[in-house]
Amino acid sequence: MAASTTFNWPWQYDFPPFFTIQKNADTKAKQIEAWCTLVLEYHQHNKLLKLRVADALASPLFSNKAIERKLPKEGVMEVLESLCKKGNVQWDDKSKTSCVIYWKTIEQWADIIYSWASKTGSLNTVCTLHELTQGPHTTSEPFHGLDDWLLIKALSTLQSRGKAELIGEEGVKFFA
Amino acid sequence: MRRRGVGASAVTKKKLESARYKERGTELAAQQLEQLSSQLETFHTNLEEFAAKHKNEIRKDPQFRHQFQQMCASIGVDPLASGKGFWSEMLGVGDFYYELGVQAVEICIATRSQNGGILTMDELHKRLMKTRGRYGQDITQEDIRTAIKKLKVLGTGFALLGSASKQIIQSVPGELNMDHTAILDLAQQTNGKVSASQVQSALLWSPERTQQVLEHLTREGMAWADDQAKDKQRLYWFPALFNSDRKLKS
Repeated sequence: MAASTTFNWPWQYDFPPFFTIQKNADTKAKQIEAWCTLVLEYHQHNKLLKLRVADALASPLFSNKAIERKLPKEGVMEVLESLCKKGNVQWDDKSKTSCVIYWKTIEQWADIIYSWASKTGSLNTVCTLHELTQGPHTTSEPFHGLDDWLLIKALSTLQSRGKAELIGEEGVKFFA
Repeated sequence: MRRRGVGASAVTKKKLESARYKERGTELAAQQLEQLSSQLETFHTNLEEFAAKHKNEIRKDPQFRHQFQQMCASIGVDPLASGKGFWSEMLGVGDFYYELGVQAVEICIATRSQNGGILTMDELHKRLMKTRGRYGQDITQEDIRTAIKKLKVLGTGFALLGSASKQIIQSVPGELNMDHTAILDLAQQTNGKVSASQVQSALLWSPERTQQVLEHLTREGMAWADDQAKDKQRLYWFPALFNSDRKLKS
């Protein structure tokens, strides 16, 4: 999980036609699927949540300098739209210039945090949000270093399930 | 004066003689039969002994296995003819190839979405070795060829294309004709890609023929189009024939 390790690019990243949207419907479906996986894994590895389309076009994610290929904007949009349908992408604006990449959905985050709480005996006690994402006991957890707004969304989901209660803006109490 | 040989006793004597000959004949035949069956039995026991003794070698040593196959072929025995036959029961040779065949099919199907149903012999070999693990038996491309030829009984789904050193295994039912394999052959020499003009000059084809064959391969999902080449010419890439460090590790 540590961001310092190098990212494992899939083999397709070296395959030049991967960067040209395919006309054959079956091949294209496989291609978009592979791109979706790559986008999520890339953001997860680098713990990135936001994506600005204009920046992304030039980022190594969509352009492989070594083989001089890059996914054109229409391709990038197609991949993001496909992720949006799956619930992994949420557009910030109607003109679709930037979005949030949920490499785990809010629901998944809620489950992960709750299972951590019950595993570590943190039920029925109050934890601070800071403790959850920055504390020394969660360094090996996937939600370590998670953005506050996303954390609060996940905890709100737990709250609506009756599994937790947000206390003020800084704390949370998990229920069994 | 008595005349010889025409009396009643002479007739009886002759009859007796021929009867004796006959008796002797059957006796001889019986002896021969007995001898033959005892020889067969010896052959059988020797064979069993051989089988028991070399069973492991046949299973483990690819070269020995190949020689054994050749020996069987030269005496007109096919140890793979049936899974229930003496050979496969004794040696487990049949099992070996059936197992290998099944594993080859599994790999072809698992990688189909990636390569459109064509796989090079080198890659299949490499993947088989990986699937079978470090402690599995050593296998050669010759073994794979034998196993795949046996798959023919299942229909036309599996075929070996091309020449020995750079063979391709096709695992989709669609027909690949000479034109298609010619392009695959060409692409193998250039890390899995061709352009229309390259095909035209190498195979002396008309532009129409070239286009038609390349489009067919793209439709079948075996080729991917690449429109970002430096000279603006569309390149056709074959995932099955494309190699990179990362792909070899995947």
